[in-house]
Amino acid sequence: MSLLEVRRVSKRFGSLVALNQVQFSLDEHEILGIIGPNGAGKSTLFNVIAGLEAPSVGDVVYRGRSIAGLRPDAVCRLGIAKTFQIPQLFPSMSVADNVLVAALYGHGATLPDARRQAQDWLAFVGLADKARVSAETLSVGERRRADLARVLATGAPLILLDENMAGLNRTEVEAAVTLLRQVRERGRTLVVTEHIMRAILGLADRVVVLNHGEKIAEGRPDDVMRDATVVKAYLGHAHG
Amino acid sequence: MGARPTAAEWTALAALAVLLVLPLWLGPYPIRLATVIFMWAALAGAWNLLAGYAGSVDLGPVVHYGVGGFATAALMLKAGLPFVLSAVLAGVVAMAIAFALGTPTLRLRGAYFAIGTLALAESAKQLALAWDRLIPFPLTGGSAGVSLPLTAGYDVIYYVMLALMAGVTGAALWLQRSKFGYGLRAVGENDRLAEASGVNIHRLRRRLYVGSAFVIAVTGGAAGYWLSYINAMESFSAAITFQMVVMTLLGGLGTPFGPALGAAFLTLVSEFLGTRLVYYYLIVIGAIIVAISLFAPGGLAGVIALARGRRAEGVA
Repeated sequence: MSLLEVRRVSKRFGSLVALNQVQFSLDEHEILGIIGPNGAGKSTLFNVIAGLEAPSVGDVVYRGRSIAGLRPDAVCRLGIAKTFQIPQLFPSMSVADNVLVAALYGHGATLPDARRQAQDWLAFVGLADKARVSAETLSVGERRRADLARVLATGAPLILLDENMAGLNRTEVEAAVTLLRQVRERGRTLVVTEHIMRAILGLADRVVVLNHGEKIAEGRPDDVMRDATVVKAYLGHAHG
Repeated sequence: MGARPTAAEWTALAALAVLLVLPLWLGPYPIRLATVIFMWAALAGAWNLLAGYAGSVDLGPVVHYGVGGFATAALMLKAGLPFVLSAVLAGVVAMAIAFALGTPTLRLRGAYFAIGTLALAESAKQLALAWDRLIPFPLTGGSAGVSLPLTAGYDVIYYVMLALMAGVTGAALWLQRSKFGYGLRAVGENDRLAEASGVNIHRLRRRLYVGSAFVIAVTGGAAGYWLSYINAMESFSAAITFQMVVMTLLGGLGTPFGPALGAAFLTLVSEFLGTRLVYYYLIVIGAIIVAISLFAPGGLAGVIALARGRRAEGVA
């Protein structure tokens, strides 16, 4: 049985069709990339999976159970956690406490356990020395790593990363890719949206390409990038 | 933050011990003054739990105060129950009402929650005024109000108010080091992120709202019994809400001892100035409140923390 199934999901905002009959499935320990130009529906798809939006039509099934329309906190406790495109923080709490909240409420850890887990995940993402500082003092790159530590601390087996590498330089992107591979080695499944093609091609086992809310291709990264429709969607007719 | 009590907590415990035996030596006037301070510390402290720890600015807490007063009166007059039992049961009644009111209103965000609860409190006042004409079970006495049995002695009220103040301060201290408290602070700082991290934000907020309603209602019941008379206009007056807000902000929002500091400060200053500047003291109090908000936005607790920090630096 697949870990996650997105079944013919459509999402309309008034007359705008953000997602149209999108369908794919995901196996455990897989890294799936979701790519597509701006406005293709990547973030809407993530919001539907994570419970921030209910699908207009269709269903999302996690471990055989329909989760469409559940509240975000319930989805998180069931095992799906999402980072934010603009990394979010509890600004005046310490970095360690930001991660602590996720461990406490994501999988019901006790306070002493959650403290240990928060330290471990901060060390894992390379923020151990920032544990005690207030979260609002972090740089953009550090915020993204803190956000990653937070979703890992929820204990959720399925992690959705919404452009977690945006705004990072080349070295930072390479470090992030290595980190995400380690996340998979720790038994998590990842769905990653990204603008940075290089990062996704080197990381994902499989990619789904969205354009105007529809899935236009799916497959191994190099195959998909040779696909004529995908090239056209990205570069337009002139180069096709 | 560890489980070991801090210096401030030791000081508070020592103060509590002194306050427990104080009625043995003090005359009726200081006892009355202390009781007024405890009462406002309990009310402001209950408001501080929701506003300071969960970021929900409730402008209708007086609903629970009024409910507590009239429920206590009804239980004493109609059921013949003793005061303390009546007040506690009135607290339970207020919790049930708060659960019903909180379920929809706590879903409102920010300013909408504040305006919604303010409107709710005004509606509650009108309902209380009209109650005896509308409902065949008279409770509020309309605009004439209700007289309660005469108080046996001030000591009971003193200890009830002291217990309420201590309870609400203890709850604030517990919130600083408990799982529930971390969840609430997360909700107060960024509710969408809290939700995405697995926190059931509505249930957490409602639990706190219902808990603080109990404290406010028991305080309302004790205040009514103390004065032996309540009426809907005063028991549901927005002035009570605003005094809770002002005392909390003066003392320090989101700090465990801030509301008690603010309550003591404002009560004592009003008492002192009221006897000396009979006609102008409200103007002076207004100026003091503005000055503290301008120069010490963290409130008195912030000033004390700052002073202690300076002293610690000086030693080091």
